[in-house]
Amino acid sequence: MATHAPQPPAGLPEPPEVPLVYQRRIRDLLIQALYVAVTALVIAYVVLQLGGREYGFGFLNQPASFDVGNQWLTNIDGTTNSRFTMYLVGVWSTIRVVVLAIALSTVFGILIGVARLSSNWLVSRLAMLFVETFRNAPLFVQIVLWYAVVLFGLPTIQNVINVGDFLFLSNRGIAIPWTVPDGGFWGGPDWMVGVWVAALFAAGGLAFWVRRRRQTAERETGKVQYPNRWALGLFAALALASFILLGMPVAIDRPIVEGTTYAEGMAIYPEFAALLLGLVVYTSAFVAEIVRGSIQALPRGQTEAASAIGLTAYQRLTTVILPQALRQIIPSVTNQYLNVSKNSSLASGVSYFDLFFVANIIQNKIGHAVEVFLLITVTYMLMSLVISLIMNYINRRVTLHSV
Amino acid sequence: MAEQPPIPPPAAAAPPQPPRKVVLPPHRERAHRPWRVRAEEWVRRNLFASPGQTLLTFASLALVGLVIAGAVWFVFFQANWRVITVNRWLLFAGGFPLDEKWRLWLSVALVFPLIGAAYGMWASLGRRDLLFIALAGAFVFFLTAHGDAGPSSSVWFAASLALFFLGYRVCRFVPRETGRPRTLAVRTLAALLALALPLVLIVLMVGGGAQASQFGGFMLNLILAPVGIVGGLLLAVPLALGRASSLRAISWTCTAYIEVIRGAPLIGWLFVALFILEDVISSPLIVRTMIVLAVFTAAYVAEYIRGGLQSLPRGQGEAGHAVGLSHLQTLQVIVLPQALRVSIPPIVGQAIGLWKDTALISIILPLRELVGNSRAAIAQAEFIPDRIEVYAFAAVLFWIVAFMMSRISQRMERAQGVGER
Amino acid sequence: MKRLALLGLVAAVFALAACGGDDGDGDGAAGGDVRGDTVALIEERGALKCGVTDTLPGFGFREPDGSFSGFDIEFCKAIAAAVLGDDAEVEFVAASSSARFELLSAGEVDLLSRVTTITAERDASRAVDFAQTTFYDGQGFVVHADSDIYDAADMGGATICVAAGTTTEQNLDDFFNEQGLSYTPLSGEGSEPQDQFVARRCDVFTSDKSGLAARIASLPNSDDYRFLPLTISKEPLAPGVRDYDSDWKDVVSWVVWGLINAEELGVTSANVDAWAADPPNTAVARLLGVPFEGGETADLGFAVDPQFIQRALRAVGNYGEIYARTVEPLGITRAGTLNALYTEGGILYAPPYR
Repeated sequence: MATHAPQPPAGLPEPPEVPLVYQRRIRDLLIQALYVAVTALVIAYVVLQLGGREYGFGFLNQPASFDVGNQWLTNIDGTTNSRFTMYLVGVWSTIRVVVLAIALSTVFGILIGVARLSSNWLVSRLAMLFVETFRNAPLFVQIVLWYAVVLFGLPTIQNVINVGDFLFLSNRGIAIPWTVPDGGFWGGPDWMVGVWVAALFAAGGLAFWVRRRRQTAERETGKVQYPNRWALGLFAALALASFILLGMPVAIDRPIVEGTTYAEGMAIYPEFAALLLGLVVYTSAFVAEIVRGSIQALPRGQTEAASAIGLTAYQRLTTVILPQALRQIIPSVTNQYLNVSKNSSLASGVSYFDLFFVANIIQNKIGHAVEVFLLITVTYMLMSLVISLIMNYINRRVTLHSV
Repeated sequence: MAEQPPIPPPAAAAPPQPPRKVVLPPHRERAHRPWRVRAEEWVRRNLFASPGQTLLTFASLALVGLVIAGAVWFVFFQANWRVITVNRWLLFAGGFPLDEKWRLWLSVALVFPLIGAAYGMWASLGRRDLLFIALAGAFVFFLTAHGDAGPSSSVWFAASLALFFLGYRVCRFVPRETGRPRTLAVRTLAALLALALPLVLIVLMVGGGAQASQFGGFMLNLILAPVGIVGGLLLAVPLALGRASSLRAISWTCTAYIEVIRGAPLIGWLFVALFILEDVISSPLIVRTMIVLAVFTAAYVAEYIRGGLQSLPRGQGEAGHAVGLSHLQTLQVIVLPQALRVSIPPIVGQAIGLWKDTALISIILPLRELVGNSRAAIAQAEFIPDRIEVYAFAAVLFWIVAFMMSRISQRMERAQGVGER
Repeated sequence: MKRLALLGLVAAVFALAACGGDDGDGDGAAGGDVRGDTVALIEERGALKCGVTDTLPGFGFREPDGSFSGFDIEFCKAIAAAVLGDDAEVEFVAASSSARFELLSAGEVDLLSRVTTITAERDASRAVDFAQTTFYDGQGFVVHADSDIYDAADMGGATICVAAGTTTEQNLDDFFNEQGLSYTPLSGEGSEPQDQFVARRCDVFTSDKSGLAARIASLPNSDDYRFLPLTISKEPLAPGVRDYDSDWKDVVSWVVWGLINAEELGVTSANVDAWAADPPNTAVARLLGVPFEGGETADLGFAVDPQFIQRALRAVGNYGEIYARTVEPLGITRAGTLNALYTEGGILYAPPYR
């Protein structure tokens, strides 16, 4: 902070007889002191009022004694595992639905946003109808409505729809073929699939390096070097080669119906499907609006210039319009992603065991509402933090790359 | 505020006279051509411009046909709407005593003219608004005229609708341009709007009316949302100013407040209202819920207002000081009005968000608003398979109000030129 | 900027004061705002706040006109009549199974009458005390009539619908663990498990037997479902009151016992007026709080006046009448079950009212 003397430059010298309380710094200090005191009082009051409870996180280590459905890749039972482990199972369920919902709503959002601006009257009207319909109805009602449709609209498992023993559809969910690790034709152990995944990563790194080199060459020589095609081709070739070399360590499992359950393959449960559908439809309506707004905010000349140099509509969109609009899209869309992570807490409405539902079950059994709430809040904040960090990174890259 | 295009325009020697809309044919002699030719032209340009477009059009047509056919089949042939007609009272008023029905209708009749007046003051009813009102009105008329609701409900609703248009008409006489008469009218209307909710609560509760715990159904949504929105707005202004303050202690605590509230989902905060807040504030649950809704909304609205504050050029505040206004006066007369004006569209968005969020109150709380009582309705054995009907009905009710709010805000924006660049 | 800050400060203080200003008399133990004298509170308010379920036919159910009906509801009315003299002075609060104990400890309800099982953990660790059991129940299972499941052993790998936050959810875990079987739970609030079961989303629906029977009986095609011959738990369902309020708990317990005593003694809503005017014996006189043959009225020292059971009886009748009015129409017979009087083979055994 600079000294006080040269502060008034506008020829308004501070009169020397200003009382102490009117001097800026003193006053700021006083105000803040008062403010801190009052805030501290209020906080003390709250703490005092909440002081009647018993605190401690020990209850999280006790056996859960309830089970959690809708697990994927895990099979953790509540008899032996602690409440905290069950909570983590809930966190994993939340992460699954959030990641998928974000990915899908981005894709559909962009599609619908672009469709909204289509020169085809019918297409743009349809996109508008979609946006206005799903944006203005509560997400929770939409989710339970989707669930109702799945529950009472699809056939029971006894009358399952069988698509060529390849896909099954009933109100117990959709069963699709899924990959399983396999010894392959060398008869190797199951962990060969791990080796293959490692090989994939290596191939990816290599492809990236080649792409970078070709990009540099392109910039320096001015000759077309097809960096993306080279990288993709290299990656595909390496992936295929290593796959065959390792003896095809992955097999595809077709689903089957065993009694009243799906076995093998992968089952997408209706609760998960309803929640995901609700989140995706709702969020993509908002993303579509963001995309539309951002594209419309671009100067009209951009489209015209792109047509002038003979780009097709698709090229215009992918190489000229969207890359520029992205700079406006990303910050707004980040907010939507944060909303998705928070909105996933509506899962309990459709019996999907997300972190909030599990936490609520724990709270109901043992109390400790304050601790449970802290746990929930910290988890959501961590998730928000991760999403923000990733989006900031993407944002930086995007803004750096476009001119 | 036109942005400079980041890429220099390609050799544009032509005078800048672009058509306002690309889809419209540029010729002006349209009026002289027969409508058939014009229609043909329009269809060709907007639907069949290229083979790809033609394909798209047919695909869309198929989709539209499928959706309409499905909807018609469901609504008229498959759905069992008895679940709605039987449970109408439960869905709209919950545990509100049936004998006191007139109180509900009186509240409606009180509020409708005010909404009409707001429409007349800040926007105008376009053809689409009228169509929408007609459709929504027909929907409600069908509900009131159907079954045992009795003719009195229809009469009440017709009267309310008439009052809506009366309020609208009256406010259309208010001059559009800023001036003393308009300021006076706006202030009166704002005061009336502010008084509306307390008045409605008095009508509902005083003199042998209902207990707050008997409120339920859609009516509860309609009471909770405005409280949350108005309370949130009032809390948000100091929060935004606090966050923008140069005093660290204040800006830090306000920032912390905003970020913490925004960090957890609303049902987390409702969980607080139910399980934790009781220790701090000893008040009925419905009041705690209102507090939580306001506190939650405030954090979001404060961010929008802060955005508005930041978008103002620094010169605005300095100009205020230059003409000798005090800090408070500068804030009140120059800074806040402009900041609020800029942030109206996102604030209305947040208001719509809160309106929709009232649907999730009954996940956690024992307050049975529309969705909560929808669940009670489908617990009736007869109606177990009819949950699609019940939830679709709830969705439509929420949608009507949310759509109306968004229409009003769009009209306001257009009328005031807010948010236009 | 300082004025700005000042304004922010004032507003923030105002905001926080608004949050903290309305102080309660929160000096009770374990859970903040425990009021020690619920009877006085109810009398002052003029209404009993009763936490009930709104989605269980026969026990606690929301009618289309917004009113409540069922076994648990009748007890709310009985107690309201006992304390306030008017069984209409009840504010029903639809309490989800997840939130019920908090509603009680927060003072949101005075009484929890919502098919709640007494368990040691709830009694010890939550701010709830249980009054006299109103219904003895046990956890059962229902399957679809055409299902392959006939016994516990057949349930391996089954998807099971269960209400979230209930003892049945925990029993299920124990039971399957003992049996060495796996299962997939599907938990929901309110009537969600029932609906999922009806939609065949799950193979088995489990809950308290009476609740199961009531739900299944109320379905239009109740023959499509079959009960398994299994009872895996004891579920004594009792009204809950706040901890540390024995006066209130006494009133609640003794209204329940009083209604059972009344059935033993033959007092019904039909003859209560006549017998109050002219009691046939001293036991009835004491129960109704009236003098016997010109003697004094016995005041047993409850927090309410001695006629409270008489008022409850006038409002809802004795235990048998309540049962016959609410649960029996759903086909849940009483004879031969635990809920019959001890004289008829059940375990309903009210302590002497003297």
